[in-house]
Amino acid sequence: MFPSSTQLQHWTFKNEAEITQYREEANAKFIARHGANVPPEEIAEIFLTPSEERILVHSYESHLREFCKRFSPPMPRAVIGTAFHYFKRFYVFNSVMDYHPKEILVTCVYLAAKVEEFNVSISQFVANVKGDREKATDIILNNELLLMQRLQYHLTVHNPYRPVEGLLIDIKTRALLNDPERLRPAIDDFLDRSYLTDVCILFPPSQVALAAVLQSASSNRENLDSYVTGTLLGTPGAEKLPGLIDAVRNIRMIVKAYETVNRDIFGALNKKLEKCRNQENNPDSAIYKKRMQELLEDEDEREAVKYEKIARQQRTTEDQLVGITRVLSPSAS
Amino acid sequence: MDMDIACPRCKTTKYRNPSLKLLVNVCGHGLCESCVDLLFLKGSGNCPECGVALRRSNFRVQLFEDSQVEKEVDIRRRVLRDFNKKEEDFATLRDYNDYLEEVETIIFNLVNNIDQLETNKKIEKFKKENRELILKNKARAGREEAELEALLEQEAAMEEARRAQLAMEEKEEKRRKIRNKEALIDELMFSTGNARNIVQTFAESRAQDAASQAAQASSVPAPAVRATQFSTGIQIGRGSGHVEFLPVPRTDDTPLFHYEPPQRIFDGPAPPTLLDVDQNGFLAHIRSASEEERAGGYNSNISCLRALEEAMSGLYYRAHRGEAVF
Repeated sequence: MFPSSTQLQHWTFKNEAEITQYREEANAKFIARHGANVPPEEIAEIFLTPSEERILVHSYESHLREFCKRFSPPMPRAVIGTAFHYFKRFYVFNSVMDYHPKEILVTCVYLAAKVEEFNVSISQFVANVKGDREKATDIILNNELLLMQRLQYHLTVHNPYRPVEGLLIDIKTRALLNDPERLRPAIDDFLDRSYLTDVCILFPPSQVALAAVLQSASSNRENLDSYVTGTLLGTPGAEKLPGLIDAVRNIRMIVKAYETVNRDIFGALNKKLEKCRNQENNPDSAIYKKRMQELLEDEDEREAVKYEKIARQQRTTEDQLVGITRVLSPSAS
Repeated sequence: MDMDIACPRCKTTKYRNPSLKLLVNVCGHGLCESCVDLLFLKGSGNCPECGVALRRSNFRVQLFEDSQVEKEVDIRRRVLRDFNKKEEDFATLRDYNDYLEEVETIIFNLVNNIDQLETNKKIEKFKKENRELILKNKARAGREEAELEALLEQEAAMEEARRAQLAMEEKEEKRRKIRNKEALIDELMFSTGNARNIVQTFAESRAQDAASQAAQASSVPAPAVRATQFSTGIQIGRGSGHVEFLPVPRTDDTPLFHYEPPQRIFDGPAPPTLLDVDQNGFLAHIRSASEEERAGGYNSNISCLRALEEAMSGLYYRAHRGEAVF
């Protein structure tokens, strides 16, 4: 249930200001770590500002949606929703400059597919990725654990899709509305757009679903107000009505206010990002390759030590068993 | 030499097979493990040397190098199980000694195969005549063992307590020393008196401390000896009475498990119950479950209720939103 979920406890924020604050902290932390020897007047020129980071994340969110829509085999909506959740959650506490969105994006989708039980193998998955498949595999598998760690392993996500179904069932059963199914296209459209905003990390999924249904009803020239006040909430929930109305209005406003990012701005920011991103996390950089190599060698070394130990043990037990020490060849002494 | 041990049948030696283990049965002839496996595949068979019928389960590891000794130990144990009279059971010491002599003779005869039939008859006769006494003595032996065990346990407990006390004292001592030292340093740092005087006073007080400590140590009360008698003079425990009681089952002190139904936070308008879903027509608007799906225990009202619950839970959620930023 949502009210006892980690989504509510850890990932539903009070308001936009709180999210903005965390994002700014992440940005400042990155600059403090990597811009120590950059003169202060050049910082804005070299590093991305928080608002520029926002623009980048926004545009990559639309990429995320495109990627999911074009995915084959076709993806259930819950996977897309969950991937959006992961992506948004990740960039609340992490800077775009630290981890490149295009890498986190595919990792989010891959992880969401796993969590939502949409079974695709990694090779099937990277078949949907443009460019070097092998590199993409490496990136996804290397980032997967990092992503889970940054999500604090809170992997269960409550999407508004099931609540929408619930509301439609309830409307069909308890409200007088001819053919509620015609609300669906507008509802889906609203939910799709809502994922491009921060609505899903600000409101419970049931409220988002209700907002979608109400929005769709009003665009279809229907009125569900009496259903909400009379049937859904009823008399025991009367005092909660203002809060709910407020939430629904806010959701509709946020979704309405969304606008797509200009391509030129996106291109320029992307170029800037390439320059200032954390090279340690860039799979093309020499530092990254060196680090990976070291990790690999470390592993090899450990294996070798282990092997030697086992061999030594075996030798001693053999000696004990046979009861004689190794016979040395005459030349050895 | 250890290496000379050999299995009489397959002639394997300890040198050739370091894991060789000789087993011995009641007849006293040794066999190696693999030979036993081979010969006694069916559980019983004859000894390859003397032809006596043996059971596989009676084989045990040979402890003594001479298998005759092994045989004697075995026989002695068996005989003494029945010949278990005690000195108290005889009128005079002479009688008891005669009895012991007889037991030894029987054992000797059995070990060396002298008058086997005669001896076995004698044993049977003795058993029949003294059945009650044998049983009683067996029970007594069991009791004595139990008592001995209790004694050992008590001793261990006392030892444990003593050790704990010692450890505590040691710790206390160490702490006091540190405290003294700190006090002395403090005194030296902040006092205006002569340093030598201060050191002297501290040394004296420490000597005093040690003396009092020694006195205290000698007066440490000995751990209480377990009472062996009630105030009425009846002995506690099984030592005196022949009456035994069934042990009273011990009651555990841990509190009993108490079920508390889980609290469900809903934070929204009350959803319909499963009964409502069934009766009020909610099911008319969803796909009904197919036969295959129902076979696994699934029913369409489950998912219907879940959708409804998810639609309503959290509707009352209200963050402290403050000013809208957009």
